[in-house]
Amino acid sequence: MLITRESITDYIPHRAPFIMVDSLISATEARFETEFCIEADNLLVSNGYFQETGLIENIAQTCAASFGYLAKEQAGEAKIGFIGAIGKLEVFELPPVGATVQTIVIPLHQLGNIYLVKGESFLEGRILLGCEMKIVVTE
Amino acid sequence: MYANDVKMSWEEVIEGTRDFLSTEFEVDRSEIRPENSLKDTLDLDSLDYVDLVVLIEENLGIKLTGEDFREIVTFGDFYQLVRKKLAL
Repeated sequence: MLITRESITDYIPHRAPFIMVDSLISATEARFETEFCIEADNLLVSNGYFQETGLIENIAQTCAASFGYLAKEQAGEAKIGFIGAIGKLEVFELPPVGATVQTIVIPLHQLGNIYLVKGESFLEGRILLGCEMKIVVTE
Repeated sequence: MYANDVKMSWEEVIEGTRDFLSTEFEVDRSEIRPENSLKDTLDLDSLDYVDLVVLIEENLGIKLTGEDFREIVTFGDFYQLVRKKLAL
């Protein structure tokens, strides 16, 4: 594990109660992976299930944590990223409260400060949601 | 099929490029002319350029960077860049 829940805010600009990622498991230029435990008092839980918007935000924060980690590793400062666009969204299943979501993001293309990534979230090996996302990173 | 994989004529590359650009960006094929503005004709914003890069890589097998787009104003400029990258 690269970043624990206790120090994740050193790498992402988000603050409670809108933190949708717990720990950064791995991050390379080619692949990011995080985990997130769904708690009952999460803002994006409804009727006992973490909603699609939460899973999308989880993918975005996986990018934020990973870009932040990689930037700090290169002796730079963590940069802030914004969701520019979301496409090819598919929702398969919503995770219940108490579940731990595994999220994997693969950067596909980069053009200047805009990244096109493919994000997928999983629960016990089953895919929950997948999408492509354009992330604009501050320069 | 990439232009680099088979021997395609320059005319075939241009016509193929017009085909996928008109389809993906939903513009009339006749609007894609060398003298017309790439950005205005395709109604590109900064995020759309990423889609354009992906399309070019998928259809022509060449990878463009942000630097490559600095000098591009018209489709004519764009074609010249593609020709240079494809070494045609």
